[in-house]
Amino acid sequence: MSTQLHANLTEEQVRQISGELDEPEWMLETRLEALAALEELDMPKVIRTPGRDWTNLHELDFETLVDPLNWAEEKDQVGPDDVEVLPWADALAEHEELVREHFGSIVPPQENYLTALSTALFSTGTVVYVPEGVDAEDVTIRTEMNSKSLFNYTLVLTEESSSVTILERQSTGDADVEGERYYSGIVEIAAGENSYVQYGTLQNLSPETYGFSAKRGETDTYATLNWIEGNMGTQLTKTETSTVLAGDSSESQIVGAFFGTDEQHFDIDVKVWHRAEHTTADLVTRGVTDDEARSVYEGVQDVGRDAWDTSSYQRENTLMLSDESEADASPKLIINNHDTEASHSATVGQIDEEDLLYMTSRGVTPQLARNMLVEGFFVPVLEEVEVEEFREDLEDLIQARLRK
Amino acid sequence: MSSEQDHLKETDTEARFDFHKEQKAAVKSEKGLTEEVIRMISEDKDEPEWMLERRLRALKQYQAMPMPTDWPGQPDLSELDVEEIVPYIRPDVDKREGVDDWTELPEEIKDTFDKLGIPEAEKNALSGVGAQYESEIVYQNMQEQWEEKGVVFMNMDRAVKEHPEIVKEHFMTTCVPPSDNKFAALHGAVWSGGSFVYVPEDVTVEMPVQAYFRMNSEGMGQFEHTLIVAEPGSEVHYIEGCSAPKYGVHNLHSGGVEVFVKEDAHVQYSTVQNWSKNTFNLNTKRAIVEENGTMEWISGSMGSKATMLYPCSILKGRGATDTHITIAFAGEGQDIDTGAKVYHNAPDTKSTIESKSISKDGGRTNYRGLVHIADGAEGSSTAVECDALMFDNESTSDTMPYMEIEESKVDVAHEATVGKIGDEDIFYLQSRGLDDDDAKKMIVAGFIEPITEELPIEYAVELNRLIELEMEGSLG
Repeated sequence: MSTQLHANLTEEQVRQISGELDEPEWMLETRLEALAALEELDMPKVIRTPGRDWTNLHELDFETLVDPLNWAEEKDQVGPDDVEVLPWADALAEHEELVREHFGSIVPPQENYLTALSTALFSTGTVVYVPEGVDAEDVTIRTEMNSKSLFNYTLVLTEESSSVTILERQSTGDADVEGERYYSGIVEIAAGENSYVQYGTLQNLSPETYGFSAKRGETDTYATLNWIEGNMGTQLTKTETSTVLAGDSSESQIVGAFFGTDEQHFDIDVKVWHRAEHTTADLVTRGVTDDEARSVYEGVQDVGRDAWDTSSYQRENTLMLSDESEADASPKLIINNHDTEASHSATVGQIDEEDLLYMTSRGVTPQLARNMLVEGFFVPVLEEVEVEEFREDLEDLIQARLRK
Repeated sequence: MSSEQDHLKETDTEARFDFHKEQKAAVKSEKGLTEEVIRMISEDKDEPEWMLERRLRALKQYQAMPMPTDWPGQPDLSELDVEEIVPYIRPDVDKREGVDDWTELPEEIKDTFDKLGIPEAEKNALSGVGAQYESEIVYQNMQEQWEEKGVVFMNMDRAVKEHPEIVKEHFMTTCVPPSDNKFAALHGAVWSGGSFVYVPEDVTVEMPVQAYFRMNSEGMGQFEHTLIVAEPGSEVHYIEGCSAPKYGVHNLHSGGVEVFVKEDAHVQYSTVQNWSKNTFNLNTKRAIVEENGTMEWISGSMGSKATMLYPCSILKGRGATDTHITIAFAGEGQDIDTGAKVYHNAPDTKSTIESKSISKDGGRTNYRGLVHIADGAEGSSTAVECDALMFDNESTSDTMPYMEIEESKVDVAHEATVGKIGDEDIFYLQSRGLDDDDAKKMIVAGFIEPITEELPIEYAVELNRLIELEMEGSLG
């Protein structure tokens, strides 16, 4: 089934966006091809069980959500001197060949309707380039969205034996925007041989916002790619965080935390593809749903035929604080090589009554006891966050949700 | 070891299943599915008008529904051509409702069941046996002591005429409506044979009742219907076994099983499926469980080319319980896609699912499970555990659970592991004097023990023997 084509999207607009970024011809072509493909592309896959789709992306009216030419943002892109952290236009000017080689190589522009829409319309972006042997403690990217819609793109390239920690935050500014909004972000990471990448995202967009993101990385031999995925904001978010373990002995960890309140809907998709020997993956997600919030979790560990000596683990735990909330989960194992040690587990439950009783019997008020237990629930995930500043931000947001 | 176990142990299991008899058919339908074929089946069975109407409605639904194609990782059904399947073959026997003495069967059919060891099993351990050959039950017997208590165990075709009220109410209405899926609709149109079990209030049938299904003809479909109604406080254990010889063309098995577990009743449903490797096994099995009722599904899936089967329990009454214990074994060219579905639709309901699978020589197993906890089903709990054992690198093993949780006061846990046979374990057993094959057999026997423990001894022995044969590669 193909999706509706926007009546308000034109080639002219795409040419204008590309022109303002001073892009070369090949980039414009890529955008125009993506635009033309929209008509045939479908929405990203969501889980279906008898009688329903777990997330209904088809109901979104992209025609009113997207305002292609009026983008506005505040952006911080900073990093240590020996790392290049470049806005999109600068990156094209300085490293065109490098960008051309990697752009769209990990997340294909026409993978689905939303990636194509993003490719055609993205107007802001960052390229992080870490040269061989450089260790970069912290690169920070802050994106404040001040318009109806915003399309963001991030490309990270690490050369041999380098390391980098990147923290990305998305939030909504005070700009006066009527009605619903749309944020779309694509992240591609090519982790070079023996390099180490930690990429953390903290998404706290306003409740009027619909969000889509595809974050995917590919590892070379001995590379490590660790993701941290914090989802707090938006009305509805569809997000994929995934690693293709393409090089022998490479590793990936994906740690996620989400907290849904009111009528928020999170569709969280975590995937790892073991495509080489001696690869290791660990997927850990913890989330809370309160009020009428709904979480959809899909985790896939896919072990290919050539992935000898694989270790792959996945855990997902959801805590439900209210009876009106819903928590759906589908952790999947797809195993094509028998030399594998793999496991997954998922649990859904409420706050332990006995713990609560214990605490209230010691004089803690029920509300405080509940908050402490929820904070405690996130501890195993927070412990995996190496960067203190990031961990504190995440903790603050969790606390703010509990005390609202 | 007692004599009945010896009997099962000593028979060459391969020879027991893989033979085929020339048997004349009294009536054989055309290939394919048309209104004419449906009318012919119904007329041949001398059915009441309402059943014909249900069949025709199901046929319309079947024609309107698409083939399942886009499930993630589903078995390939492209080689299945329903239009090439002969849906109805009535064997040439004298008594339509089935004889109650094995000696009254035509020699060829009697010989078939003798080889399968069914009469022997009946003598030793069962309350009653129904035996289906092609599309019809040819043997039916129930021990008198149960009949006196009002227990009914008869062939489904006969139940339509003799117990029309019960059948009208329960047959493909609320439990497995034809609209459920394409093969349920197909089943509703062409069903034939199968068992009807009715257990009155507070009656406990202490020994299992058994039905055995044998598909003998090339290119046929078998569509038996099983309807079990367990009244409040009753208890029954139903066992089905099935087999078919090998052929060059494809067979289709698309049965329908409906179980009604009333208040405080307890039904155990055990299956050892060993269809030949040219059979598409696309079954729908479901139970509706009322207050404090218990449903237990125990299945061993060994044979078939492709299986898509997810026995389902709808826990409708407070305190209802479901247990699923399944084992799947996929060898060369086999795709066994099986699992469990549970709907927790009432408070304090409980389910446990234990699934084991073994894949070998390029076989594929998949656990596909759905646990749904409805809003309001507070105090419910579910625990799902799947373990997969892989023998070699040509094989595949997947786990795809789906959990839909709409209620907060619940306890949901899913766990799955995949691994190969431990080299250390084999080394240990070898160092104790076992050869490689025996060591592997022993590890597998230990792996599936939780399943065999739940089966009556003869079935456990049969399951073990089948797995041993699979591992020797002697069943092609």
